[in-house]
Amino acid sequence: MSKKITFDYWKHLYAKRTGNMLSSEIRDLLSLSARPDIISFAGGLPEVKALNYQKLEKYVKRALKIGGDISLQYGSSDGYYPLKTRLTEVMKLENIDVNEEDMIITTGGQQALDLLAKIFINPGDYLIVESPSYTGALNSFKSYEPQIISIPVDSKGIIVSDLKLKLNELANKDKQVKFIYLVPNFSNPSGYTLSFNRRKEILNLAKKYNTLIIEDNPYGMLRYEGRPVPTIKELDIKSSNQNVIYISTLSKIFAPGFRIGWIVAPHPILEKLTLGVQSADLCTSSFSQRIAYEYFSDPVWRENIIEFIKIYSARRDVMIKALEKYFPREATWSKPEGGFFIWLRLPEFLNTKEILADTIRNKVAYVPGTGFYADGRGLNEARLAFCTENTERIEKGIKILSEIIKDKIKLYRSFK
Amino acid sequence: MKKNIAVLMGGRSLEREVSIKSGQRVSNALKKLGHNIIKLDVDEFIVSNLTSRKIDLAYIALHGKDGEDGTIQEILELLNIPYTGPGVYSNILSFDKITSKQIFINHNIPTPPFYFLNESSFRELGTSKLLPVIIKKLELPLVVKPSAQGSALGVKIINKQEELPDAIISALGYSKKVIIEKFIFGVELAVSIIGKGSPQILPIVEIVPKKDFFDFESRYSIGETDYFIPARLSPTISEKIKKTAVRVHNALKCSKLSRVDIILDKKEKTPYVLELNTSPGMTDTSLLPMAAKEAGISFEELVDKIIKLSLDDT
Repeated sequence: MSKKITFDYWKHLYAKRTGNMLSSEIRDLLSLSARPDIISFAGGLPEVKALNYQKLEKYVKRALKIGGDISLQYGSSDGYYPLKTRLTEVMKLENIDVNEEDMIITTGGQQALDLLAKIFINPGDYLIVESPSYTGALNSFKSYEPQIISIPVDSKGIIVSDLKLKLNELANKDKQVKFIYLVPNFSNPSGYTLSFNRRKEILNLAKKYNTLIIEDNPYGMLRYEGRPVPTIKELDIKSSNQNVIYISTLSKIFAPGFRIGWIVAPHPILEKLTLGVQSADLCTSSFSQRIAYEYFSDPVWRENIIEFIKIYSARRDVMIKALEKYFPREATWSKPEGGFFIWLRLPEFLNTKEILADTIRNKVAYVPGTGFYADGRGLNEARLAFCTENTERIEKGIKILSEIIKDKIKLYRSFK
Repeated sequence: MKKNIAVLMGGRSLEREVSIKSGQRVSNALKKLGHNIIKLDVDEFIVSNLTSRKIDLAYIALHGKDGEDGTIQEILELLNIPYTGPGVYSNILSFDKITSKQIFINHNIPTPPFYFLNESSFRELGTSKLLPVIIKKLELPLVVKPSAQGSALGVKIINKQEELPDAIISALGYSKKVIIEKFIFGVELAVSIIGKGSPQILPIVEIVPKKDFFDFESRYSIGETDYFIPARLSPTISEKIKKTAVRVHNALKCSKLSRVDIILDKKEKTPYVLELNTSPGMTDTSLLPMAAKEAGISFEELVDKIIKLSLDDT
């Protein structure tokens, strides 16, 4: 007698949202990029090597010595107060003037996104993202089943006229937008920076339509050229608004292994978020926070940022030069003034997801564009991270990539 | 008796992740069977890793390139290390689907009608002009696939002529030759075979993917495919399928182990052979362990059988 094989006896119990969680060939292919022989432009991995882990030992020792048993205990749900003080000093460098009471500490920026999604999104709610947008944010939001509205970007960031039309259209239908999610500085994945005028306009729109802006700023301090643009949070504070929730992280200016991020938000929102932390993980690792506190109490952290900037800007320059030297005329790319990523656009007939297997066989990896869109676009686009590989490997990898792409263009044309 | 067994996994293939899952599972089983396990990723150090210690047997848990194309088998032959699964010759024949399909034809084993084209022929010989001819001969829908790749990577089903170029370009990302094959409407079946001469044929697994075909997501996401075992077939048809599978196993000179993938045509009830796998998956959702379980063979017993066959061979 034939029987149906059941691998998972609990299938009938899962929430509907797990339906999107599938094995993916892209994820499997990209896991190959961890191999040392693969030149990886895929993951945006910070250059932690520059910190020299041996030099961090003293902060770990100090955290244990000063904190003693308490450093091994649960901490407060809103974060370790002395670290908050240090974070206010970090933010001051970007002209954001806030107090310790205006923030909570989270387990990385990713938890900040998840907590915000958790407290704001009901199934079917509307939220707006720039398009392309950070995959980690999209996935976090999607698990709360919202309707995600994508607004395209150009080299000055999200296109405000499109945003205005959409907000107006939704308001006419009596639909409330819960928030607008933006990475205004050297966006992940596009590398574009939102212009000053657009920042002001978006803030006004948020005010007009009574909604929030989530400003995610992981890369703001990693600027390699040009003048800094004020954060939307700064503009929000200066105009005495309360429309901006600001998120940042120590992953890029210190190290991602510590898993420390933070949220600056109006106090009632912080209260909800703190309750959210209590039900998520009680508190961010107090040991991690104490080590980070020690590190940011030593002025050396500022020198290390200068070192990071030196390393990343050289890598960006080499990647852009190599793209100009090797890539076919039909391709275009963003020229970020900071951050980790370059956004590549190929002729429309090329599908970056389909080319990936070939490039990985030739030992180069990148992330295909579709994952950064909530609506399935981005087939001919890709994200190239310049932060991970050294300059020699960047040049080599871009050359290999260019040869494969040129080859594909030729192949495609043979069908015409 | 306790043996030193190297489990070869990972490697350079695009199926690396699946291979690691297979390898971990096999390693756990071997440990429970009381053997010494050395897990080896197949990278530039593989030769020195294999020669620097005493190894009684290499368990090949690799999928795709290097593991199923004869490369690792040739290395192990050179080092006089016994290994699991079929030998160099079978791997070479089965890895290239064009070669294996030609062998099926020579042995009068039904396989879906197909044509193959080289990547360079599109650019240098203008063979794209032949696509309408192929469509006329085979009729839509068609299956486009790379000649050498596992886990259905690069495989596409096309229903319209205009979809053909993209599907071909995609398949050519995986290998230098592309197969354009007639799509057979029918039931997907997998027959696992252990042993040689008169090998043991495990119960047939029937695969019913929720999507239009058994693609990567359907293979490795639990719940995306329904499996029926033994397949819902009449005894006569079952027998016919098993006989066909053994003919394939023998035609490709497989010893020890193989899994034959077949589509049973709905109308004519012809078992069309798609391919033979020399290193079938050993993950939680893989077909060989599933079939073994139905035959009353636990995962550990299956692994034990596979290694004993390989040790007996030497």
